[in-house]
Amino acid sequence: MSNDHPDQPKTPVVPETVPNAGRRGFLKGAATGAAALAVSPVAKAQQPSSYQASFTAPSYQQIQRDTGLVEPPTEDRSVVRPGSDLMVQALKDMGIEFVASNNGSSFEGIQESIANYGTPPNHMPEYITALHEESSVDMANGYAKAEGKPMAAMLHGTLGIQHASMAIFQAYNTGTPMILIVGRDEGFIQAHTANDMVGMIRSFTKWDSHPKTLPGCIDALHEAYRQAVTPPTGPTVIVIDMELQKEEARDFQVPPFRPAKIGGVDNATARDIARALFNANNPRLKTGMFRTPDGVQAAVQLAELIGASASTTAMGGPMGFPQRHPLCGPGADTSYDYELGLESGSANISLRRPGITSLTAERDVMGIGFGSLRADYVAAPPGSEPTPGSQNQQQNRGTVLTVDAEASIPLIIAELSKLVTPAKQAEIERRNARHASANREDFLTNLRAAVEEKKKGWDLSPVSTARLYAELWPLIMNEDWCLASPSNFSGAHHRELWEHNKPYSFLGGQGAGGMGYGLGASTGAALAARGRGRFVVNVQCDGDLNYAPGALWTACHHDLPMLSVMHNNRAWHQEFMFIQYLAGVRGRGTDRGHIGTVLRDPFIDYAKMAQSYGMQSEGPIEDPNLLAAALERGVESVKNGKPYLIDVITQPR
Amino acid sequence: MRTQLIRCIALLLGVAATAANAQQLGPVDGDAIAGAQLYYDHGCYACHGFSGYGRKDLNNTGSPWLANEEIFRAFLRFRNDVAPLLPATDMPNYPANALNDAMVSDIYAYVRSMPDNRPETADVPTLRTILEAAEQRQYKP
Ligand SMILES: Cc1ncc(C[n+]2csc(CCOP(=O)(O)OP(=O)(O)O)c2C)c(N)n1
Ligand SMILES: [Mg+2]
Repeated sequence: MSNDHPDQPKTPVVPETVPNAGRRGFLKGAATGAAALAVSPVAKAQQPSSYQASFTAPSYQQIQRDTGLVEPPTEDRSVVRPGSDLMVQALKDMGIEFVASNNGSSFEGIQESIANYGTPPNHMPEYITALHEESSVDMANGYAKAEGKPMAAMLHGTLGIQHASMAIFQAYNTGTPMILIVGRDEGFIQAHTANDMVGMIRSFTKWDSHPKTLPGCIDALHEAYRQAVTPPTGPTVIVIDMELQKEEARDFQVPPFRPAKIGGVDNATARDIARALFNANNPRLKTGMFRTPDGVQAAVQLAELIGASASTTAMGGPMGFPQRHPLCGPGADTSYDYELGLESGSANISLRRPGITSLTAERDVMGIGFGSLRADYVAAPPGSEPTPGSQNQQQNRGTVLTVDAEASIPLIIAELSKLVTPAKQAEIERRNARHASANREDFLTNLRAAVEEKKKGWDLSPVSTARLYAELWPLIMNEDWCLASPSNFSGAHHRELWEHNKPYSFLGGQGAGGMGYGLGASTGAALAARGRGRFVVNVQCDGDLNYAPGALWTACHHDLPMLSVMHNNRAWHQEFMFIQYLAGVRGRGTDRGHIGTVLRDPFIDYAKMAQSYGMQSEGPIEDPNLLAAALERGVESVKNGKPYLIDVITQPR
Repeated sequence: MRTQLIRCIALLLGVAATAANAQQLGPVDGDAIAGAQLYYDHGCYACHGFSGYGRKDLNNTGSPWLANEEIFRAFLRFRNDVAPLLPATDMPNYPANALNDAMVSDIYAYVRSMPDNRPETADVPTLRTILEAAEQRQYKP
């Protein structure tokens, strides 16, 4: 097959349906796109040349074009309404703000449309220039974690997919919605094309489609969005052929976008839950991570309505109940007589949206399992940072209904509102007041204890990780901030010292422990922050930074408000400890544990690295007494929309 | 079998060590400066920090394992010597061929010399601000 002569008759290789594309997903796409799949005459006419196998090595001209200074061919169709304009219109209609991408000819149609479509030329979605596909997808991840809605990343064929794959894998693990657009240009370099482009990443994406017509493509873009945001949420992929991007659309109109309809509990269940909350003397909400900020708001409303104290996961990841809401905390009395779990288990009744493990049977061709291989597995809340030891260990108690809490709460509120009498209202208000003072005391007690703990080694050099977080807090506490980087390697001291009151206060962990995520995710969160009067704090591990540092440039290029503070322990310290331990266990001493695990000889100068990408920076700072002033300069800079990096030499943990 | 034996010894040492309270710390014979170098070279700082504050603190913690040099040495020698299935970041084991008695003595001296650094909260403006602000701040959605 691979030795086919270009002149030999070719077999069509694009299957009618994408193999293994996920039956449910495909059928759904087919149902919504039935009309669209009727091939237009224009598309039909263009199909033979584009939809045929050509398993030949790239031609001289092809390679020249991708590697040399060869002009694009001049005989290209000149079209009035290119298909890619309509694709951009669809993205606009869906509210996609950004498309992060590292350029590639397989989506040049879409890229050109993002730049030029419309009068005046297009501004949204904005093309975000990424220097690595892993960064593009990490950006989409950080953005969606902060906003609870997807942006897009665009990938160049087989190559872009492979560079992006770890980031996609991690987004899948946290159920982050995003739309991945893969350009496909079969007539160009064969190695960049595959029949089943998504095959390489199907195990860890939710849904994919490879539309054959322009109407089908618009329909698939709409469906990609709906699929991404509908639980189980996650990355969706659409492969778009160059032919569709360049097709003349004539008078085809982009149909209006119909948003996803996400269902909640049935009315009877909503009524039962409302009654149980109403009848309880001390009701409790156990809350986890909601899907969007609306879910957080609904949970707050429910707690206030019934006077229930609420737990939170806001210190571990995004979309959690606001930490210093007066009802957040253990409450005045910890013997709860009715617990309602909202995206959290172990309650009388728990409402939890389905997680990715519900997809494995269908799509996980690689048999990764995502924890579902363990019988007792209960997925951690999406986006949450793993707690060492307790990871994957939780077990559900009580009744668990696999249903979206966010969509259910309004139904419960409606039922509850019918029950509340003025007498009950007075009782609820008294309860609210008691909880508020108890929760305040609880918070302050914990904070005082934390401060005593965190001040250890305060004046010592290098800087203690606790001091790094402590010095940051007074500078940001009255600002609109978002901590976008994972924090477990830098001590996670924000959990005890800071207040996590916004859905985006802290965006949680990498998803699958993959390094290199922190900078990209922070850059994406900064995209979300830029137009919203917010700024991003990125506590940046040195090892993590070195995988794909090019996002530093992206942050400068797009004026992103991102303050990066290095947790520079000059090592891949986690691995250093592993090697040391093993050497110790083997009785061979720990004096060579640094081989392959430390970043010294030479030290890397991160302030210079940032400067070389155009970012203002300072450091390395070893004296803890110099830290606060540097952080102040950094916060000032990002408040003015300019990213800033401070290299801080820290204690290892 | 061997593991069990070691566990027993460790337990006995533990009992002995608990008896020794902070006031009854043993003498320091080693060279703290040489110990500091060994502490760095053998990567003790990985978990205990460059100055004794880290995942596991060493500074005047009152830990029974630091009561005297003999107990400290026994602790190093008898730690986890069975390869676990999964990687861990627990305290490694140090047989004599990895750290000889003289080296242990120097490291012990260094650990005992570690400064205490826990300033009064009232003396640290940042910490004062954190506490005061938490009292004053009202929750705003
Ligand atoms: C892509 C990838 N490669 C390697 C690893 C293994 N790994 C786990 S932690 C770690 C070190 C991280 O170093 P750094 O980000 O500087 O954090 P530190 O542990 O030093 O605080 C590595 C390499 C990984 N998790 N992901
Ligand atoms: Mg590091």
